[in-house]
Amino acid sequence: MSTAVEKTFAAPPEVARLQRPALIVGAVFLLLLVAGIFLPHGTGQNQVPGITQFFRSYLLGFVFWTGVSVGCLGLLMLQHNIRGAWGMVIRRVLEAGTRTLPLMLVLFLPLAIFGLPHIYEWVNPQGFHATERSIEIINSKRGYLNVPFFLIRSFIYFALWIGLMYVLNLWSREQDRTSEHGLIKKMQRVSGPGLGIFILSVTFASIDWVMSLEPEWFSTIFGLLFVAGWNLSAFSFVIVVMFWLSERRPMNEVLLPRHFHDLGKLLLAFVMLWAYFAFSQYLIIWAGNLPEEIKWYLYRTRGGWGWVGILLPILHFAIPFLMLLSRDLKRNASKLAAVALAILVMRFIDLVWIIVPEFHKGAFAMSWMDVVSPVAIGGLWLAYFAWQLQQRPLVPTGDSRLAEAMEEHGGH
Amino acid sequence: MEHPHQEERVHATEPVVEPGYTFSSVTDKISSIVLRRRTPLWWFAGFAVAFVLAQVLLLSITYLVFTGIGIFGTNVPVGWAMPIINFVWWIGIGHAGTLISAILLLLRQEWRTSINRFAEAMTLFAVACAGIYPVFHLGRPWLAYWLFPYPNTMNIWPQFRSPLMWDVFAVSTYGTVSALFWFIGLIPDFATLRDRARSRPFQWIYGMLAMGWRGSARHWARYEMAYLLLAGLATPLVLSVHTIVSFDFAIGIIPGWHATIFPPYFVAGAIYAGFAMVLLLTIPLRKLYGLEGFITDRHIDNMAKVMLATGLIVLYGYMMEAFFGYYSANQYESYMIHNRQFGPYWYYYWALIFCNGFTPQLLWFKFFRKNTVILWFIAVVVSIGMWLERFVIVITSLHRDFLPSSWGMYQPTIWDWSMFLGTLGLFFSLLFLFIRFLPMISIFEMRTILPQAEIEEEAA
Repeated sequence: MSTAVEKTFAAPPEVARLQRPALIVGAVFLLLLVAGIFLPHGTGQNQVPGITQFFRSYLLGFVFWTGVSVGCLGLLMLQHNIRGAWGMVIRRVLEAGTRTLPLMLVLFLPLAIFGLPHIYEWVNPQGFHATERSIEIINSKRGYLNVPFFLIRSFIYFALWIGLMYVLNLWSREQDRTSEHGLIKKMQRVSGPGLGIFILSVTFASIDWVMSLEPEWFSTIFGLLFVAGWNLSAFSFVIVVMFWLSERRPMNEVLLPRHFHDLGKLLLAFVMLWAYFAFSQYLIIWAGNLPEEIKWYLYRTRGGWGWVGILLPILHFAIPFLMLLSRDLKRNASKLAAVALAILVMRFIDLVWIIVPEFHKGAFAMSWMDVVSPVAIGGLWLAYFAWQLQQRPLVPTGDSRLAEAMEEHGGH
Repeated sequence: MEHPHQEERVHATEPVVEPGYTFSSVTDKISSIVLRRRTPLWWFAGFAVAFVLAQVLLLSITYLVFTGIGIFGTNVPVGWAMPIINFVWWIGIGHAGTLISAILLLLRQEWRTSINRFAEAMTLFAVACAGIYPVFHLGRPWLAYWLFPYPNTMNIWPQFRSPLMWDVFAVSTYGTVSALFWFIGLIPDFATLRDRARSRPFQWIYGMLAMGWRGSARHWARYEMAYLLLAGLATPLVLSVHTIVSFDFAIGIIPGWHATIFPPYFVAGAIYAGFAMVLLLTIPLRKLYGLEGFITDRHIDNMAKVMLATGLIVLYGYMMEAFFGYYSANQYESYMIHNRQFGPYWYYYWALIFCNGFTPQLLWFKFFRKNTVILWFIAVVVSIGMWLERFVIVITSLHRDFLPSSWGMYQPTIWDWSMFLGTLGLFFSLLFLFIRFLPMISIFEMRTILPQAEIEEEAA
């Protein structure tokens, strides 16, 4: 039975056709990025060597796409816990998303081996012309912020993510083959504690990779901001993919307006969650106005960055929020996908706003490489994702709950 | 029309209603507690104890108003103490009621039906207890209306930049919406009681409360719409009230208060404490009134799971506070966490970690979620833990701040404790009255989740 079903739900040929252009775009942009190493960047005082700019931009692209991969893992475990019909129909896309994690691990290596002294002040205080006070602070954090421990931690995050990804994908594959009911329980049992591991590992990854760019600054909600943000990135991406698949066989026979309705509601919830965390952090730091905290926001509201800062609550929250309130929009796959795509773009702009001002301390400056890098990594990521998506049927055919999830008038 | 029962078919665990009930037997069973059955002896005993404690509250308040807030142990450097601890504790407990009644309704979680009425009542009583503290801590509670912005000749205007001011609006809105939601939910049941009551005064009282409900199709259509709108209105309140309570602390710059994690961590803590209280009350009540058919093991299991999830978020909050205390490299921040863990109040901190961090981990195991006796004790431990959490946050942050010369210790007085015991008395007095005179489970909503109700729907 299973081979026939697998054939029926095989990925459409367009997925395979996506692979090559994505790979080419990724490779070309990667070459551009490498070429950028040999060019000077910035002007006057802000002039930096090409290699420094390379790693600054590389970090941006790396964190963004790792967010999509890891966000897929979080959502996968969330849907195993919640068990809704919406989770059943997007599960294979989420699983393919998580299987890109080995690629992200490989892409982490250049950063780990060569990049750290170029972007982290705490690795190389002299190179950053750190003030005496900064050096004092960095020295008092040496126990946590040192290169070996940083690398060990980063590899632990990847080990945890890839470990969870591996077992969940393995059992899901096995479920296709055997339709064994016990596997549902097994995946659930891992996903409960798995979500705890996910939240903690994303928290510390965000502290290490992003927060430590400014070694003096700290904010206790920062980890949750990334947990919500990465889930939101992944979810927006998945909605776009689901729309694209819903236009083609075989998923056009599976996906119903009610599935998109549920996805839209969850997207709204993630948008609100992100806004809630982001606003809480801003309000508390703004009201406290302490010198060591407020400077993080000063770098991000001065010299043109303030305009980006204003865009975020409007385009990342208010407009998608208002649009997603509409029931008609949520049931309309193409409109929902348009909103999701816009949110995905805003996710990137949010990350730019968090990372890039750190390198320019109050001046508005962006390099062309900041745009090239996410496209380069994104191209490779998409090609890898498309390749992975073809490996399995687009729905978990061995799951006993699938039939119900595909019913015209199913539950939730 | 989407059928909420579909979930059952696939994940058939325990049913939300024990099989075998009919429309009339549901009505009989719930309404007889109010109208027919003899009031059990334990009710009188329990009410008597609670009522005596409520008198302790009145006594304390009277003495407080005549003497002034100097009767409390609140003093420099600990300028906020038991009153705010108890305020936050009570207001947090209320959150489970709103979550169950509003959010779970919007999420179409039908298991909420047999516990929502009860949990909402608990919310109202908890908010009532909470409200007492800020008002009487004012020192001159007869001037409490100054908190509201109104045109006056004294040129007094509230400071809108203060989260304490936002609290006034958040809590009063919350109280109002919760009361409305609860009352509207009760109207069809009031009508049932009116029709079934045998004595004239009860027919008359329930008749008044039913506001002329006749159960016509138009009544129901309006009713459903109003109920849904109120649910939508109440949903953001679950988040906003405790978020603003957390701002009361986080907007200040005291180490241990000024933490960006506070809003989600407080909201999760509130839901955590609230579900602990719901479990603490429902486990004995369903046994005493034989309501296991309505509040099944599935409800208990689900509530325990919510408690586990929110408990983990709270634990995450503790971890972040401790990590950033040391990571910050800020001497005040790191001293704050060191002082909490190893300072003079260390036993409060570690008791808190035991109650809120360690205990809920038992809920990972089905054995503990199934065993109601152990679960009841876990709920008690969590309730104590949530009180300790507020104690640790408020007291240890204040008693040693930036200037060592002004450090001090906090010593609650007998009046601090009598106020707290008194509000417990008030809470339980109201609760005893509620279970005696009102249907503690929504009769008409229970009828709609019976399997019979679904068959008719499909035939139609």
